Amino acid sequence: MSAVENLVDDQPREVLVARGLTKSFPGVLALDNVDFDVRAGEVTALLGENGAGKSTLIKLMAGFYSADRGEISVDGKPMHADPAAAHRIGVATIHQDAHLVPAMSVAENIMLGRWPTRYGLVSVNRQRQRALDALARVAPHLNASTPAGRLSPADQQLVEIARAISEDSKVLVMDEPTTSLSPPEIDRLFGVVNDLKAKGLGIVFVSHWLEEVFRIADRVTVLRDGRLVGTRPISELDHDKVIRMMVGRDVRETIAEARPIGEIVLSVRNLNRDNVLSNISFDVRAGEIVGMSGLVGAGRSELAACIFGIDPYDSGAVEIAGRQIAPNDPKAAIEAGIGLVPEDRRRQALVSLLAVRTNITLSLLERVKTWGFLSITKEEEIAAREMKALAVKAPSSRTRVSTLSGGNQQKVVLARWLARHPKVLILDEPTKGIDVGAKSEISELVLRLARGGMGILLISSELPEILSLSDRVLVMRSGRIAASLPRSEATSETIMSYATTG
Amino acid sequence: MALESPSMSDRIANRATGLSALRGKISFIDLMQSVGLLAVILLGCAIMSIMSPVFATVRNIENVLQSATIIAVVAIGQTFVILIAGIDLSVASVLVLASVLSVGLVNFYGWSPELAIVAALAAGMGVGLVNGLAVTKLRIPALIATLATMTIARGLAYIFSGGTNIAPVPKLFVELQAGRIFGIPAVIMLTIVLAIIAQVVLSRTQFGRSVYATGGNPLAARLAGINTERVIIATFVISGLMAAIAGLLITARFEAGAATAAQGLELAVIAAVVIGGVSLFGGEGNMGGMLLGVILLGLVQNAVNLLNVPPNWDSVVSGLVIAAAAALDVYRRKYLEAGMRKKVIATKASKPTKLS
Repeated sequence: MSAVENLVDDQPREVLVARGLTKSFPGVLALDNVDFDVRAGEVTALLGENGAGKSTLIKLMAGFYSADRGEISVDGKPMHADPAAAHRIGVATIHQDAHLVPAMSVAENIMLGRWPTRYGLVSVNRQRQRALDALARVAPHLNASTPAGRLSPADQQLVEIARAISEDSKVLVMDEPTTSLSPPEIDRLFGVVNDLKAKGLGIVFVSHWLEEVFRIADRVTVLRDGRLVGTRPISELDHDKVIRMMVGRDVRETIAEARPIGEIVLSVRNLNRDNVLSNISFDVRAGEIVGMSGLVGAGRSELAACIFGIDPYDSGAVEIAGRQIAPNDPKAAIEAGIGLVPEDRRRQALVSLLAVRTNITLSLLERVKTWGFLSITKEEEIAAREMKALAVKAPSSRTRVSTLSGGNQQKVVLARWLARHPKVLILDEPTKGIDVGAKSEISELVLRLARGGMGILLISSELPEILSLSDRVLVMRSGRIAASLPRSEATSETIMSYATTG
Repeated sequence: MALESPSMSDRIANRATGLSALRGKISFIDLMQSVGLLAVILLGCAIMSIMSPVFATVRNIENVLQSATIIAVVAIGQTFVILIAGIDLSVASVLVLASVLSVGLVNFYGWSPELAIVAALAAGMGVGLVNGLAVTKLRIPALIATLATMTIARGLAYIFSGGTNIAPVPKLFVELQAGRIFGIPAVIMLTIVLAIIAQVVLSRTQFGRSVYATGGNPLAARLAGINTERVIIATFVISGLMAAIAGLLITARFEAGAATAAQGLELAVIAAVVIGGVSLFGGEGNMGGMLLGVILLGLVQNAVNLLNVPPNWDSVVSGLVIAAAAALDVYRRKYLEAGMRKKVIATKASKPTKLS
């Protein structure tokens, strides 16, 4: 820590300066007038909730996006929005999953696209030599001729760092580098990061784990809703202060009224899946909305997939309305009375080539049959009823579902399940990518369903959504349930605290 | 999020009108494929009638259609497989195997012709079942799995027949070839009936719907409770069965258990299906379009013959037609998707305008 303070006192040099960055996507202002600095020889942690704008900022620094307003300069030279230009100017980005060519050797990957040539041919010796130079600094234990695909995720990451070094990068951006690493691997990574820092690289470190941030970072920059909350030296901060910066003080009041809660409709007992879920147990009762919070990658969607029977599990049991259902059999789960609105509706729920009507009836085809043939009349009847009930805005039930807006597509997925009158409905990020108006409609709908006696498991990364709708909040962290909070105890601070530490 | 304005209802209304315009465009593009194909066929017929006095005779047209029946029947099965984003290369070999079995079992082993036909059909379904299991249970890509069974089935046909055509054929086949229903050759009627049944299955049964869903988005289909593996296996079995029926047709046409026939037929079938607007990416297409594709290919073949184009040019011309059709499919897709994206972005980004 003393070395860090020295650096701060010595007025460290800013290597990357971003001023007034604004970036919008259709319907969303992802970054709003954000200033951001990276100093040579320092680790700057970039923090914020899901959707705060971290990824957008990283992609701007990596040259993937161009800013609507504002600019980024490295060592005083302005950066152009082009990944190759970002590399040339000295910004290397390590993305969440390694971007290596699996079949190529470590050396080839380190020199990717910059293979040294002689007389137009790749010079294997020089390639190897330069790769070894870079490896020696970050991962001396690796063999330069191993195919990259055979390395562990941790080693692949080190190869990416070696690539950044061999490019003489000035800034190294690491987007959640520790998510797939074990504790000893994290220690080794941090050793490398400290070493690079000492050699004068500016490092941007994005992580959801606050302990890690306090271990490695010199300064912390927090974003919220696309705006800069502030940049402070780590010495001025503690865990609670950081969380308060991330969450903000203006947390919405809960709006859900008390409802009669009935018998258990979904019971999960000691569910285990190797490396994904450990010992998950909880119940959902009729009329109850159970919120499930946690960071991206905490295992929430994976849990939903196991309950619904899409993914297998190693041990444990799932009961729907008192009936135990066989693992890995979505059809049985559906018949027992469960519905799942998955996180990625385009990939997991909708057949985009088919009509709205066809998508709605996809899970209840056996109900629209007469004499073995599908009855278009019955199908239309069901589709029209559900579209009206959910106020799906579409030119007609025969319109292709892919032409609808995100909110209306989500309603189509909901309609599919509601037509079956499930006893329990799992909603995985139901308002992701939906505009504000449709969001509140869907929230209203969730409350209405619960009033009607349906049990709801609401998985959401948006704390206001969880807080305003849930009767009880489960917080997941690293594949386990870290906390089960009654509504009275569920606040942004407690949830974030359980989600990031402990 | 902060960008969202309070006039949400206006925006939604705005979007809805944008979408209805889009919808007109999409159905137009969809139509273009079938109508376009029909137009090309009619135009081709018109030109051919002028250029060749023989073309517009009942005899020639019947001949074109009759030779198209074999490809058409195989293509019915292939359409099912391509709709689930698979491919079946084994069809020509299955066809040959069924053909030699239907004659050979009678001539060599003294089976009754009816029983031999049943055995031939069962063999076709058997190969299809193997294909389906290999693709679903062993997760071998359809291209590779059916390439293997293609070679195996052809080999079995050679072994069984001794590598030569088997004749004479039972009287049944001769009657089939000569038969007419309402004055139309029986084989053409049979093909039409099979295509109609297949289309009804596709558009009006739970299975057919599951085929489109599985091909369009297998994950979503599974999450909706559809047993996608079973659907995939069934399409391969249907493809095997159809190829075997085509084998019976070829037996009738050549009046022999044709061990050496139908070389490369699988590619002609796939080409016809793709020309007919059945997407190789799965989930899109129907029997009507497929039949138009078969007829177009048949006409090209006929035109090449009638116009005395040197025979070696015939495959060049067919190849160009296939390339053009495939390019049209890709273009249509891109156009559709790009148009959709543009529209959505435009409606999202544009300032709300009062519509009242």
